[in-house]
Amino acid sequence: MLKTTIQEQDGNVVAILEGNLDTAASVEAEKVMSPLCDVEGKDIIIDCTDLEYISSAGLRIFLTILQSAQEKDGHVYIKNINDNVRAIFAITGFSNIFEFV
Amino acid sequence: MKEILDYIRRKLSVRVSLWVVMFAAVIFIAALSFLFYQSREAVRQESISRATQILDKTSLRVEGILNRVEVASDMTKWLVQRHPDHADSMFVYSRGMLINNPDFYNCSIAFEPYYFKDKGRYFSAYTKHIGDSLRTIQGGSDNYQYFFMDWYLMPTLLDRPCWTEPYMDLDVTTNTSEMLSSYCQAIKDGQGRVIGIINIGLSLSWLSQTISAVKPYPNSYSIMISRGGTYFVHPDSTKITRQTIFTQTIEQPDTALSALGHAMQRGEEGMKQMNINGQDSYVFYKPLGQTGCSMAIVCPESDIFGGFERLRRTVMAIVIVGLLLMLYLFTRLITRELNPLRRLAKEAETIASGKLDAELPDFQRIDEIGQLSHSFGNMQQSLVKYIEELKETTAQKASIESDLRIASEIQMGMLPSMPPKLGEYSNDVQLYASLTPAKEVGGDLFDFYIRDEKLFFCIGDVSGKGVPASLFMSVTRSTFRTVSAHESMPDRIVTTMNKTIADMNKRNMFVTLFVGVLDIPTGRLHYCNAGHDAPLLVGVGVGELPCDSNIPVGFMPKWKYTLQEAQIFSGTTILLFTDGLTEAMDADDAQFSMQRVNDVAAQALSQQHQDPCQLIEQMTDAVHQFVGDAEQSDDLTMMAIQYVKQQSDVLMHMNIVLANDIKEVPRLTAFVEEACEAVGLQPDETALVKVAIEEAVVNVMNYAYPPGTRGNVAIEAASNDVRLKFTVIDSGKPFDPTVQRGVDTTLPAKERHIGGLGIHIMRQNMDSINYERVDNHNVLTLRKKLKKNPQNSKT
Repeated sequence: MLKTTIQEQDGNVVAILEGNLDTAASVEAEKVMSPLCDVEGKDIIIDCTDLEYISSAGLRIFLTILQSAQEKDGHVYIKNINDNVRAIFAITGFSNIFEFV
Repeated sequence: MKEILDYIRRKLSVRVSLWVVMFAAVIFIAALSFLFYQSREAVRQESISRATQILDKTSLRVEGILNRVEVASDMTKWLVQRHPDHADSMFVYSRGMLINNPDFYNCSIAFEPYYFKDKGRYFSAYTKHIGDSLRTIQGGSDNYQYFFMDWYLMPTLLDRPCWTEPYMDLDVTTNTSEMLSSYCQAIKDGQGRVIGIINIGLSLSWLSQTISAVKPYPNSYSIMISRGGTYFVHPDSTKITRQTIFTQTIEQPDTALSALGHAMQRGEEGMKQMNINGQDSYVFYKPLGQTGCSMAIVCPESDIFGGFERLRRTVMAIVIVGLLLMLYLFTRLITRELNPLRRLAKEAETIASGKLDAELPDFQRIDEIGQLSHSFGNMQQSLVKYIEELKETTAQKASIESDLRIASEIQMGMLPSMPPKLGEYSNDVQLYASLTPAKEVGGDLFDFYIRDEKLFFCIGDVSGKGVPASLFMSVTRSTFRTVSAHESMPDRIVTTMNKTIADMNKRNMFVTLFVGVLDIPTGRLHYCNAGHDAPLLVGVGVGELPCDSNIPVGFMPKWKYTLQEAQIFSGTTILLFTDGLTEAMDADDAQFSMQRVNDVAAQALSQQHQDPCQLIEQMTDAVHQFVGDAEQSDDLTMMAIQYVKQQSDVLMHMNIVLANDIKEVPRLTAFVEEACEAVGLQPDETALVKVAIEEAVVNVMNYAYPPGTRGNVAIEAASNDVRLKFTVIDSGKPFDPTVQRGVDTTLPAKERHIGGLGIHIMRQNMDSINYERVDNHNVLTLRKKLKKNPQNSKT
């Protein structure tokens, strides 16, 4: 139920997530998004405009990307998250470690 | 009298002197009594021998006179018998008799009637003293027919010479009378016929003077009585010849006087001690020759012992004056000797009044008083030193007390305040607690708080009292809070607390502890009792909550505590207490006892007073009444929890069974959405619930069954008008997700771990999570409160 698109845009790597990033979807999403861990010298923007739902499995993917980016002094930006997802970010403290655009 | 006794009691000198003088007086009295007794005996003996001597002498003298009378009478008789025919010679004989014996009163030589024919019927040659001269006449006449007189008749009748009874001799010519006793003897001729009588008279007054002249003592006197008892000699001349010695005894019977009279009549010799005319007297008596008379010397005792009594009075006076003088001198002397002591006492008073630097007098003495003064000086110095130390100690004590007061405030501050703030659960649970330490700080504790819709509570009692117990108590209380923050099962809470506390318990103290977790929605109570008194359940009746015997917390780190559970029905009150309640002691050391706790609880129940506040107040009143004025012996803590929640009706119920495959998650999400929609949950909350339930189920799918094995996860959704409840059930290995530590959401990204997020989200998004292992199934319950009535829920 999740559609993941990765593209380059204005020198940044942008991942567009659409649908529900639940535990079931996270298996596929992890595979698709693993290239993001190898990005170097560019910022990563995760576009959550159409992300309806996220569970802890999804958050783990986000954390893995962030940790590998920070090792290479890169930035990961979260873009346009809805209130439900923002609530999960807030509860887990992820809103403190991610940058939002 | 009382003042005198007080004075004696106050004055040491008077008291000591009195003792000495009294002792001396006793010795004097003993010695003098002996001396006086002996002296009196000696005086008595002396007086007896003296009086006897004088009596003998007087008696000899009187006998001498009487003998002389008899001899003279015999001589004259002989002369008359030789010349019986010469009547005129008779005058010569008679006159010669008085010339030779001037102390004779008269003498008559009287003859039978008509003996001398020429002289007629009467012839009596009678000579008598008239002044310094003698007168000799013929005494018989018609007026004086002598041969009828006693003195004439008696010798003839008795046929022997004799002494007459006293009689009055009347001298017609001089008209004088004299009391006489005369010796008369018959004159006989050759044929033995009586021809006349020789009569020699002795003046009784003269005899009396002779005898009375004998005076061994100034007030002594002599008496003489005749054979018949008539007084011949007596100081009272009216008694002479007129009274006998017995006259007096007729009026006043006097056996002693009668005895004396009879003894004297019998011619006995001796001494009698008797009372005569009101005077104690000694009477010495002795017969006077052959006359039949007896004489006695009466010596008043006062005379005999007069000198002795004077001596005794003088000696006594000297002794008394001496003793008084001694008392005075001793008093003065002791007072003078004790003077330094008085000064010392005054100085001591000054020191006692607080003037510690008062200067003590130096007596320069080496006796006991000097030693006392020296010791006193030392004491003064020590006092100054000790008072300094005492001040310091007092200041330290005040500081400690202040510290203790603050510590007490801190300790009380640690305990939840009353009335408790239970917020939205105040309609489900009512709670009240009280803690009264025996000292400023105590070792009892209680605590409670609500987390995940569960009431966590504990009550404990640290061994010992005071500061050590209070420190241990605060450690216990902190550990309880720390451990129970992420641990929901009482047995695990206590086991962890035990391990933590035992590791740092060097003094081998321990704490009895009861930890309970009451699930507010269901009334399910989980509890673990570590050696504490079993709580009472006050509901339908009064009964103890069954408790396993676990050891107290703190000394065996490896002990595994057991879990117990019970269903608490609405309206039931759990009464927890420390042994300060059951062991509260009255003045006779009797204990309040479990029986009374039960009785008071039962009474409260019968009065519908099982409300926590009322129950504890009633129990407190009962204990106070029992203990009375006795000092509180132990910390006293009580906590009562009443479960009052009314179960609501189930409005919605649905369930789903999933395989342990994460591909099933979309089905789960749909199920959750449906359930949330059915109870009208807001979309934002539905989103949170969806994530939480997914996390819970995925957890089970990942961990409950070994990898590669198939198993099912059943999910139930149910609700009443208050809560929406999800129950996740699986038959996998025991797995309690609630034990997992939460995540630290404040850490920077590179320190964050991937694990732990799921349980964190569950906790945050739901109102409560409960795990139970029931019949080899893991049962995880997650609840979410419904906000149907926003107005009510805000209160």
